[in-house]
Amino acid sequence: MDATAEQKYNFEVVRWFSVMAVVYLVVGALVGVYIASELAWPVLNFDSPYISFGRLRPLHTNAVIFAFGGCVLMAAAFYTVQRTCGVRLWSDKLAWFVFWGWNAIIVSAVITLPLGLTGGKEYAELEWPIDIAIAVVWLAYTFNFLMTIATRKTSHIYVSNWFFLGMMVMITYLHVVNSLAIPVSLFDSYSIFSGVQDAMIQWWWGHNAVGFYLTAGFLGIMYYFVPKQAGRPVYSYRLSVIHFWALMFGYVWLGAHHLQYTALPDWTGSLGAAVSLAMIIPSWGGAVNGMMTLSGAWDKLRDDYILRFLIMSLAFYAMSTFEGPVMSLKTVNALSHYTDWTVGHVHSGALGWVAMVGMGAIYHMIERTYHTKMASPALINAHFWTATIGAVIYIVAMWVSGIMQGLMWRAYDEYGTLAYTFAESVEAMHPYYAMRAIGGMIFLLGAVLMLINVIMTVRKSVSEGSLQQARASAI
Amino acid sequence: MSSLAEYFHTDWEAMTTSDWVGTILTVVIFLLMVVLYVHVLRPKNREKFESKKNIPLDDDETSDIGDNNGGK
Repeated sequence: MDATAEQKYNFEVVRWFSVMAVVYLVVGALVGVYIASELAWPVLNFDSPYISFGRLRPLHTNAVIFAFGGCVLMAAAFYTVQRTCGVRLWSDKLAWFVFWGWNAIIVSAVITLPLGLTGGKEYAELEWPIDIAIAVVWLAYTFNFLMTIATRKTSHIYVSNWFFLGMMVMITYLHVVNSLAIPVSLFDSYSIFSGVQDAMIQWWWGHNAVGFYLTAGFLGIMYYFVPKQAGRPVYSYRLSVIHFWALMFGYVWLGAHHLQYTALPDWTGSLGAAVSLAMIIPSWGGAVNGMMTLSGAWDKLRDDYILRFLIMSLAFYAMSTFEGPVMSLKTVNALSHYTDWTVGHVHSGALGWVAMVGMGAIYHMIERTYHTKMASPALINAHFWTATIGAVIYIVAMWVSGIMQGLMWRAYDEYGTLAYTFAESVEAMHPYYAMRAIGGMIFLLGAVLMLINVIMTVRKSVSEGSLQQARASAI
Repeated sequence: MSSLAEYFHTDWEAMTTSDWVGTILTVVIFLLMVVLYVHVLRPKNREKFESKKNIPLDDDETSDIGDNNGGK
């Protein structure tokens, strides 16, 4: 029990964000499994527009990226900045404003997206009033984080805080520019960009949401929680500094690789691909840096199930940051683009990297902020294996399906006629769509186990009185 | 592409002001990054950087400093 930390820092907001992250993980994964099942068994649409794939898909992406991912990032940033700076959050009120504001945004997404109210931008579907709310809450989050650093009691700003701050600055810029729109009514607006500029801005946002929100932010998590959980310092601090600056410089160039073979000037796609390839170096440097933190202590993985999540996430991070640049190459992209390979790649990053490192960090924070061990280590172990096996089944299904799609679409006979109709390619994909849904179900099962375990741990903390003791102990 | 010279050919006359601003900013930031890499990787600075790696492990002690809420 760490009574000093409990009384000095604001862990209450961290606890709320952590628990809500797990709730949103279950909800987001559930919606994902449902829409994956709709693709395999279309009868599940029930001819209702509200639960059709087109409306639930953005709900799924918003739930997992912004609800689950956002709550993890906010919990982790608020937790680590206090601990590494030796000072309480600058403003408790602002922290609670961020918590309730972010959750209100999530609720508004749950209401508007099934109703079909959308701005039509991928990963930025929410309509303009909600976009403004996101900007306000995000700025409050950033300001509170920044002011906490400004009032720190330590001389050096630890590298995880750099990653968090890099994410905050860049996401503010990206979100505001990408969301610029002319409102025509309360729930309708048009982007101020059009044509190829709109496409470029969309993917400048789209890839940088991956680069700064889902990568830089979660690397901030990795650089704190891997050393902390392993009880060993990060392998190389110098490498972490280089990793940070290379990421900040490199990621902003990559968006154009989403638009190969479109109306975008040819050179922009080539530039995007070239920088994508260059980004393998810092990405792998970072992954190796995280993994080598365990150098000489790999035995810890045998019985520390939380550490397993964190290290497995780095393996997926390395894999997906190699796969992405390969897919950005024009020759590979000619086959992979518009196919399920892209979906598989996204999920190797999302399930394998983002979710795994996020779940590891949540387990760590739940133990530390409720001042007790997780109620069931066996359930953590079961969660680890269901998450890993579910993710692998999902990814493999999409790889096979995607490459098959690409090959079928480009095949032609000796007369130059397409060898397959589109419907034939859809029919061929069916087994893999069923396999993907099953992989998702296994992953969802793990998320449910995590929620049960977290609820049991909170109840355990209450029955033991450990949180109460930490709050009341004389220090 | 018939030759490298053709591949790298640039119509400098067609460069707009924003093209120049973007180009210069990019090159300057890239050079700053190179300078930073040299600084970080210089053997002389190794200890200075690596001494920071223990911060997460020492943060239980960090919670005992400062003047907020009963800290020492």
